[in-house]
Amino acid sequence: MPVWQSIFEELKDNNFHIISVAQDTGGEAAAGAIFDAANVTYTAIIDVNHHISALYNLVNVPSGVWIDEQGNIARINEGTYAQRHGSFGTDEYAPIVRDWAIKGADSEYVWDLDKVRENIIQRTPEAEQAQPAFRIGTYYFTRDNDAKAEQYWTLAQQLDPTSWNYLRQDLQYEEGGSAGPQWRERRVEMEAAGGSYYAPLDIEASSDSDQ
Amino acid sequence: MKSIKTLGLVTAALFSSSLLTAQDAVVLYSDRVVEIEQTLADASDLWVKPEDLTRINDFVLKPEGACLDDLCVPVLQDRDSDMFVRRGGQAWFNVTELADKLQQAHVTDYDDSIYSFGAMPIERRSFLRGGEAPDFSLPDRDGKLVSLSDFRGKKVLLLTWASW
Repeated sequence: MPVWQSIFEELKDNNFHIISVAQDTGGEAAAGAIFDAANVTYTAIIDVNHHISALYNLVNVPSGVWIDEQGNIARINEGTYAQRHGSFGTDEYAPIVRDWAIKGADSEYVWDLDKVRENIIQRTPEAEQAQPAFRIGTYYFTRDNDAKAEQYWTLAQQLDPTSWNYLRQDLQYEEGGSAGPQWRERRVEMEAAGGSYYAPLDIEASSDSDQ
Repeated sequence: MKSIKTLGLVTAALFSSSLLTAQDAVVLYSDRVVEIEQTLADASDLWVKPEDLTRINDFVLKPEGACLDDLCVPVLQDRDSDMFVRRGGQAWFNVTELADKLQQAHVTDYDDSIYSFGAMPIERRSFLRGGEAPDFSLPDRDGKLVSLSDFRGKKVLLLTWASW
């Protein structure tokens, strides 16, 4: 997060903004200190209902979406660490953000509509029910009814088993935590089946950008 | 005589509106938490007064139907239907039936009358087909409502993360 702050400082005069949204049922108590420690001056939101992930069909964090001056998506659903982060992330993402911030639509990293559509995760009708179920869970959680919260958070995971966010948010309140054995097991299972924990980052310049 | 009188009282109570209206309900939709004081008793569906429909999802009941902007879902209002009934002069609208017609996902906790609705597919098309960024309004850390549309004219990097 401090890295995003320095990228923001560098690029903000290019008509560029960052909206950073914590997907945290624990609210300010859970996420506030992390925003504070990075001294963020861009827009900081703590989204207890995971509303943004529901709205943009995102299933993991961190995830990034590029939105252009007209409100159209230019890239979506990428595991966007600002730099290499353990076994995740890459140092090559921040430079393409910089390229886009400066060149806008002329950046070779802007996707066309077909590619944007391809990269939006499709949801089954069951998965569409996951967000309203999760939302009930969080409603109970904020009213200290942990049994009911657990019931609906579990239902959300069953309705959308592709969502790492619903799984890990719930695991945070259980023994082992959000990055414990249960998470590792699921990840290994997914990767063994040929899946990718984060959608693979595509930082090749698009071939048709100079059309 | 006494028993008949009692029966009469019970019958009167059954037909009074107080027994036809259920407990209050809570509706979760988008960024809203809407408390509904009176609903019409129903085992599964959520029936609310027309003004509460608007509080829930901005739909307005008009002569031509339940309308949101240019969209109107036809609703007959001169007779009872699966979408609309009149009881003792009060109109009631079936919100869950409207959701089903719009293929809008919803989940209910019947014990506590909590009705939670997902996004409406009609509002998702411009995103899924047109690649438009869905707008949102959420409070920032100072409690100020922030919308994506506030930043129209800028490039916006929208990032999600979590403390867990």
